[in-house]
Parts: sequence; C-alpha cells; structure tokens
Amino acid sequence: MNSETVWFNYGDVILVLLLQVHKQPCHIVYTDYRPTPLQHYVFPAGGSGLYLVVDEKAKFHEDSFQKSLNALVPANDGDKKRENGKSQKGLILGKLGEESDIFKLVKMIIQRQYDPVILFSFSKKECEALAMQMSKMDLNSDDEKDSVETIFTSAIDMLSDDDKKLPQVSNILPILKRGIGVHHSGLLPILKEVIEILFQGLIKCLFATETFSIGLNMPAKTVVFTNVRKFDGDKFRWLSSGEYIQMSGRAGRRGVDKRGICILMVDEKMEPAVAKSMLKGSADSLNSAFHLSYNMLLNQLRSEDGDPENLLSNSFFQFQADRAIPDIEKQIKALQEERDSMVIEEEESLRNYYNLILQYKSLKEDIREIVFSPKYCLPFLLPNRAVCLDCPSDNGEQQSFSIEDQDAWGVIMKFNKVKSLSEEILTVDVLTRCLVSRDGAGKKKIKPVPFKERGEPVVVSVPLSQVKSLSSAIMNIPKDYLQLEARENALKKVSELLSRHPDGIPLDPEVDMKIRISSYKKTVRRLEALENLFEKHKIAKSPLIAQKLKVLHMKEELTAKIKSLEKTVRSSTALAFKDELKARKRVLRRLGYITSDNVVELKGKVACEISSAEELTLTELMFSGVFKEAKVEELVSLLSCFVWRERLPDAAKPREELDLLFIQLQDTDRRAAEVQLTLFSPTHPRRFGSITVLSDNVAGRYRRREFCAFVQTGYNGGGVCVGKRLQVLRDHGDCSCFRRELDQSDKENGGSSTTAHRSCKIHR
Amino acid sequence: MMMRKIQLPFTQTQKVRYERAIERLQSLSSTVNSDASVIVTDTIPVNHEDAFLKGHGTSEVDGELLATVCGVVERVDKLVYVRTLRARYKPEVGDIVVGRVIEVAQKRWRVELNFTQDGVLMLSSMNMPDGSQRRRTSVDELNMRNIFVEHDVVCAEVRSIQHDGSLQLHARSQKYGKLEKGQLLKVDPYLVKRSKHHFHYIESLGIDLIIGCNGFIWVGEHVEVRDPVMMIDDQKDAEMISSSSSTKEQSHTPLETRQNICRIGNAIRVLSNLGFTVTVEVITETLNLSNSKNIDIHNMLGSEFHVVVAENEAERRREKRKK
Repeated sequence: MNSETVWFNYGDVILVLLLQVHKQPCHIVYTDYRPTPLQHYVFPAGGSGLYLVVDEKAKFHEDSFQKSLNALVPANDGDKKRENGKSQKGLILGKLGEESDIFKLVKMIIQRQYDPVILFSFSKKECEALAMQMSKMDLNSDDEKDSVETIFTSAIDMLSDDDKKLPQVSNILPILKRGIGVHHSGLLPILKEVIEILFQGLIKCLFATETFSIGLNMPAKTVVFTNVRKFDGDKFRWLSSGEYIQMSGRAGRRGVDKRGICILMVDEKMEPAVAKSMLKGSADSLNSAFHLSYNMLLNQLRSEDGDPENLLSNSFFQFQADRAIPDIEKQIKALQEERDSMVIEEEESLRNYYNLILQYKSLKEDIREIVFSPKYCLPFLLPNRAVCLDCPSDNGEQQSFSIEDQDAWGVIMKFNKVKSLSEEILTVDVLTRCLVSRDGAGKKKIKPVPFKERGEPVVVSVPLSQVKSLSSAIMNIPKDYLQLEARENALKKVSELLSRHPDGIPLDPEVDMKIRISSYKKTVRRLEALENLFEKHKIAKSPLIAQKLKVLHMKEELTAKIKSLEKTVRSSTALAFKDELKARKRVLRRLGYITSDNVVELKGKVACEISSAEELTLTELMFSGVFKEAKVEELVSLLSCFVWRERLPDAAKPREELDLLFIQLQDTDRRAAEVQLTLFSPTHPRRFGSITVLSDNVAGRYRRREFCAFVQTGYNGGGVCVGKRLQVLRDHGDCSCFRRELDQSDKENGGSSTTAHRSCKIHR
Repeated sequence: MMMRKIQLPFTQTQKVRYERAIERLQSLSSTVNSDASVIVTDTIPVNHEDAFLKGHGTSEVDGELLATVCGVVERVDKLVYVRTLRARYKPEVGDIVVGRVIEVAQKRWRVELNFTQDGVLMLSSMNMPDGSQRRRTSVDELNMRNIFVEHDVVCAEVRSIQHDGSLQLHARSQKYGKLEKGQLLKVDPYLVKRSKHHFHYIESLGIDLIIGCNGFIWVGEHVEVRDPVMMIDDQKDAEMISSSSSTKEQSHTPLETRQNICRIGNAIRVLSNLGFTVTVEVITETLNLSNSKNIDIHNMLGSEFHVVVAENEAERRREKRKK
C-alpha cells in the first residue's frame, strides 16, 4: 500500500480494516458502474431552457456549459430579477406577473414526462416556500386524488383529534392531493412516513432537504438542485462532489428508467473548473468522525471486557493514522540517505566553527535588540543621520556564513510609527542606493544594495528591525530630495564619510546611547570572547570555507527535518486520542464517577444510561437534587435546554417560577465545565458549558392542549425535533422518568421515595 | 464487623488471641466513619437546611430520616442511602456473576444467582459453540441442552435489569459459559468488592478463580480461552482422530490441581467465616499462609487457622494504613 494507490471505493479501505480488526475472512461485493446512466443539465436562472452539460458517457460539454452561463440573466441587471435583493427570493417569487423559475422548470419537467422529480433545497423554510409556489399546479387525476386521501386519512387516524387539527397536518393534505409533497426533518414523523409511502407513485413532485438523499431508498427519475451553493454553518460554499453524488444518486430508477436526469439551477456564474469538479469529482474521502464521549468511556469501563484503549486502537481513526506511517518512514529513509551521502572533510572542527557562527549571530541579534528597543533608539532616529542597513540577500534563504555581512549605507529621512492590530511597528524612511526591478505584474520591487554596487538613490521605508547600526555622523543634506541629483549628492556625502571612516563612526551604545543594563554588558563580553575564538580557530583559514559551511548547513537542515518526521511517526504510533482519553478519565475521577482503579461508581452508573445529552451535567443535576421539587412541566422545560439545537431569535423569557431551576442548571453546568477545563490541556479546542437557557414553551408539549401552540413557536422544524429528542431522553428512563413520578408520587412507602426511585431506578 | 458467623471450639488462648485481633481490626476501621453503620430505625444525620435525596433503605418519619435496613450509610452528593450488608445480591449492569442453571425453558435458561429473582440467560445472548453469528433457529432451541443443562454452573455478565425487576444475563464472550472441574463457593455478596477484574488466573497453580459479584465464587482448573475459528479447526482434527482411533480421551484433572482447588476453596471459606473482604490478593495471601504454616487442607477450617488468619489480616491492614 503506498500513497499512489487510488481507492476506487470505500470498500477496499473497509476491507483492510475488517481484516485487521477481526482477523476473519471477508468478501467484498460491488459494482463499479452505474446501472442507470445519468445526464446532467444546467438550468440558468431566468433562462428558459436546459443545457446538457454531462452526457451518459460522462463527457463534459464545455461549450454548452458556457452557453448556459451566457443565458444567465446578469446579476447587475437590477430591475429584471434581483429587485428583491436576495437571489433566493428571485427563485421563489419570480418577476411580478410572470411565473417563477421553479414553476417554469417543474412545468417543463411534467411536459417532458420526466416525473417523478425530487427538488432538493438546503433549508426547510425554502423547501416549504417552493412547494407553496406550486399551488396552481395539479399533477394528479381524480382517481389518484381519492387514493391519496384514503391513505392520508387512514394514517392520520391514529393521531388524537387535537393533533389532527395541527396546521402542519391539516395544511398538507391539499398539496399532497395535487401530487406535490414536502419532506424535511421538521415534519411530524407520521407525516414523513405518509409522504414516503405516497412517493411510490402518487406524489409526482417532491420538495426535500438534503436528508432525503441519505438513508432512504426513494429514487426518482429526475433530481433538481434548486441551488448549487449551500450554507455550511459559516458561509455559502459550492456543493462538494461527494454531496452532489449522494443527491444526484437519487435520479434514475433502476429497471424503470433508461437514464436518470439531473438538473442544476444555476443563478450565478460559476467557473467551468468548479462545475467540472462538482459534477465529475470523486466521492468524498472517507474520514473518521470518531470522537470520545464520557458515556462511551463509562460503558467501556464498567464491563469486564471493556477496554477503552482497545476500542480506540481498533477504531477507523487509528487505522487511518497508522496507514500514513510507512510513507513517512520511507521519507525519513530517503532523507537519511541524502544526509549520509554528503561527505565533508574535517567535519568535526567544521561543525564546531559552524556552531560558533550561529552563536555569534544570535548574540549579535540580542545586542541589536537591546540597542534598538524603542526606549533607547528613538531619540537617535533623527533625520539626516547616516545609518547602516542589512541587505537582504538575493535568494532569501541562503544565509551567509561569514562574520562580515553586507551593509548598505543611507541617510534617515524620517521615522514613522505604524499602528498595526496588536502593537506599534516602527519604520524608518531611508535614502539609500537601491536596486529597482520590475516583476511581471508591473510591481516595483525595491531592494537596498551595498553601497559600492550600482543602483538608484531612492527613499525606502524599512522596518526598524532591518536597521543594523546608527552612525554618530549627521549629514548636512538639503531638505529637497525630490530631484535625482539631490539624492545623488546626498549619497555622495555618505560615501565621503565612509571613505574617511570605514566603520562609519557608529554610535557607542554605552557612551552615546547610555545603555546601562547588565544583560547588554554581559552579551557584549561574550561576543568579544567569541571573536577571539574565531581568530584562533584553525579552520577559519582553510580555503573554500564558505562552500563547506553551506554544505554543512544543508546537512543540519536535513537532520532537523528527519527529527520532525520521526516525531510525527512517534505521535501517530502512539494511540490517537490517548491524551484526550487520559484527560477524560481524570475528569471522571475528579467528579467521583470512577474510582482510582477505574471502577465505575454510582454516579458513573447513572451517567452510563444517559446517552442522549450532556451526561455529566445531567448526572450532577440529578444528584444535587434539582429534580426533586420540580413539577413535570418544569422538568420538561428544563430538560428542553439540553436538546434544543436551533437558534430562536425571539426566545420568550422563561416564566418566573422557572428562574430558580434555570439558575441551578447553569450553575451545575458551569461547575462541570470548570472541572473539565482545568483537567484538559488549555490548548484543547473544545468549548464547555455551552448550554443556554431557552424559553419554557417546551413545557406545553405535555399539556396536550398547548401542543399546537408549541409547534408553532419554534419555526415548524425545531419544535418537532426537540420533541423527538425529549422523547428519547425520556424513554431512556434517563433523567427524571416523568411518568413514573406521576404514577408513584402517592405510593411512597417502605423507604423508597419518588426521587430516590427516580435515580435509583437507573442504577438498580 | 459484627456479623462473623463463627461457631468454633476455641481454646482459652485462641479465644484471647482472636478477640485481640478483632479488637485491633475494629480500632483500625472505626476512625474512618464510626457513625456510618446503622441498624433499623436509627436516625441518619442529615442537614435539613440543604435539600437531600433519600434513597434506598431510608424513610422520612416526623421530619427525621430513619434507616429501614441494617447497613452502612452512603452519601453521593445529596443522595443518602443505606447499603445493606447481609442481604441478597443487588445486581448492577456489567457485573460478572456465577450462577447455577435451575431450569431449561423455551429459548432461555433460568439461573440461580442469590438475587430476589432468577436470572434469565437467553439463547440469543449466548455465543454459539462454534463461534458463528447467526439467528437462532428452532434446531438450536432443541439443542439447548447440549449447551447447558440443569445444575450446570455458568458464568455470565449482567446485561440489563428490566422494568419489572427481572434480570437479563448475557454470555457473549469466550470466557463466559459453562464452568467445569472445580468448586463453587457461596459467600455473602457484600464480601465481594466490585473491581476492574473478576476473572483471575493463578498461574503458579494453574487455577482459574472467578469472583462473581453475587457472592458465588468459582475455583477451577485453568482453561485456555480459545479463538472460535481455531476451535472449528481443532474440532475437525479431533473428528479425524476420533474416527481413526474411535476412543475419545477424557481429559483428567491431576491430583495436585485438585488439592490446590480445595486449598483455595478452604481459604475462601475461612475468609467468609471471618467476614473479611474476598479479593484475589487476600485469597493468595491466606493460601501462602497455610502453606508456610504447613497446615493440611482439612485443618484449614479448624479454629487455629481462623485465629492465624485474623491476626494476619489485622497486621496487613495496619501495614496498609501506615502507608
């Protein structure tokens, strides 16, 4: 297995994993072609026709793709389409008095008999809005309408009368009868089920969210993407090829249709490359999304066989990490060979010399840092002072290995303070000789060069870090330096100065600049000692010292690289998640869930059973007695905080009697979060304690009369989702066993009270 | 500490030694939580200002929290409950238990576990003898007696506790299942402490020790846990051999192993009589003590050895506290 191997499908990866973990024979059955070929079309927004972009033989038609983009109504053509500001609205509303795009498209599909069709959109809201657009359309005959009604009413019969009056239930029948359906996670489960049944022939046109493409085997002849961009949490992005494959895979019923049709509604320009990679790209690579949870850890710990380390080492995550190792090892070997092939004479003494140079440089840098700290140098950054600059060498990386650096001399014009985000950066405008070159894009590149070389006299702005030393000489230079000659003259004066004093009369840090801190003196002394060593070093006089040093430097770099690679190998052979596992165990121990011998305690046993939400916080709440006094409604609304996932813009303030409970909840959550924060390494990205207090409208869930109102509070989806998750929380017997409390609150006897019952039921 | 069931003919010196050892033990333990052990109708001190949760074995009468059973008061955050001592086993999910099959019913075995009800081991929650994984058929049901019959000793894990209080077991691992060639001992469940491992293999003696959480302890000859795939191969080989030689060799437990089993069994009995916690460390220590003092197996249950073990235990705990 090497990196060049292309995995044609996930099967191979899974196969290897299975063989490795189970050590049993395993067979793989797959087809590597599509039984019903797909045709991909583009429907440009505002346009009127379909453009074939990818045909059955998976050939991409560049020309027709361009044509389709040209048919796109230009976005800046304000009054034509985008008068509503958002592109999505154009899709829904269309131009006044004209049919919307989606309506036109569906009409076209029905005319060409491409039905049944699934239209994917990426939000529940949009999904419903689009379906409402179709209200004028009728796709079913009278017979079909009757059978829709029969199926619907027989399914709905099992609901209570109150529930039948829910708007979601009563509103959907008319559109279903016309052969149009909606399917998204916000629907009541029973409605979803009915729609799935009706889709086997009685719904011609289904508006669905992405969820419909996963897990259900509901193919249609045609699939329409109402948008090719989706919101992934922080921004709109193009669909990935994996998502595209998954959704377009619903097109073409095997054995019924000869080919499947896939239509993209494009409302803005897209590069052909983007389209190509989306339409023809391969499936998303399979990556492990495995993560640890306390619940998982506790359940592993409490059974005799359970061994979290073992679980982790057999995980797909670990498998993927392990697979990369041979590659890295090969790299290391290659690098080592390269390093060993470099032979240098007298390597030992050369290395000694090399280290000296490095030390020397770092010392110099230290000194420079002290001298050029704003505190000392600011009073001396006066105009007309001669300065020495560091010349960046041509090929940036190559360091020079002599103690003499190349200097560029110039004259300070003025210095500026540039305020950046975090701190002030000091820059100095210096008149110096520069090499001016123009790169391809026509950008001027200015680079100071040593004084003796050719170059134009230019004023450049350099950061203070590039200034090497300040001279005590202040030139007499006319203020006007706009003219080339004036600048030439100024530089001439600098060169005169240099010819008289080759070192440029530098400012003495101690005498002139009054730097008197001990660290400076110490560094200078060490520097002097080093300079002496250079003199004595015998190899310094050997010829070709520069080349040799360069080779040695490369060798050193290779060694560093090898070291870092070896480190990655070590860290991936070590168990992935090892640190997190340790940290989590520490948390559990600190909170008294497990003993120091990893034996699960009472609290741990309770947390074992809570799999649907924040096990630690819930357990802490339970043992701190919060649930003891609360009424059922209050409990429900309290627990709803754990399952609520959607943002509610205008969340009603909780009722006052709930305040206390919510405060307790937040306190407990914070406490649990604090323990976790202290025990996890501070760099750990996970956020703790993110539970927010929400409205108490969930309480209505259990008072039947209010259920209807409750469903409407959150936008149609949210409420149902929460209700479902609450059900899970409750059915599990997890938190507070509502029903049991109701039944048994009167039957207290023999020393087992309700509350104890509630918690003990779990650990019994 | 109060519930030692010793009815042994002590001599005068033995009695004095024994009482001194017990005294020392009590002085060691009492400092931790002297008010923790309660008997029925004892008041459990709680802070009434602070909301508390009353748990098992407690009842609120006239504003006071009373114990309704004998045992030790345990507190977890605000939950207060009484852990009973001399009572039946109280199962928890994940416990390793040893039990005796008392009935072969439809698709299930009923297992006696010293719990208030019999444990239920479903046919479907057993590994098939050949290690294959499939639905159980009616043929499998008819062959249930080939797996376990009445009076077999089995080892299993507690899978879940139903709402009606019945206990579901499972034996989905090679190490669970029928136990043969050994002794089953019953001690009080409170003497068994839950720990990470309940299966022990005493290598020097070639003996398996399974300390069930329900107080049933198995001491038996060591059995290698074998891979199911390998087992199939072995069976094929065995069949070929048996067809050729047509005599199936009945494996025989050597006398030495049998003696070791008895010795460990008696060690556990002594510990149980004295009311000491039964862990593998204490058992091996008692075993070594009996060997070093050259006490015969049948003499281990005599009064002298009891006294020695009690003294030894007192010494051990003292050392432990020093650390």
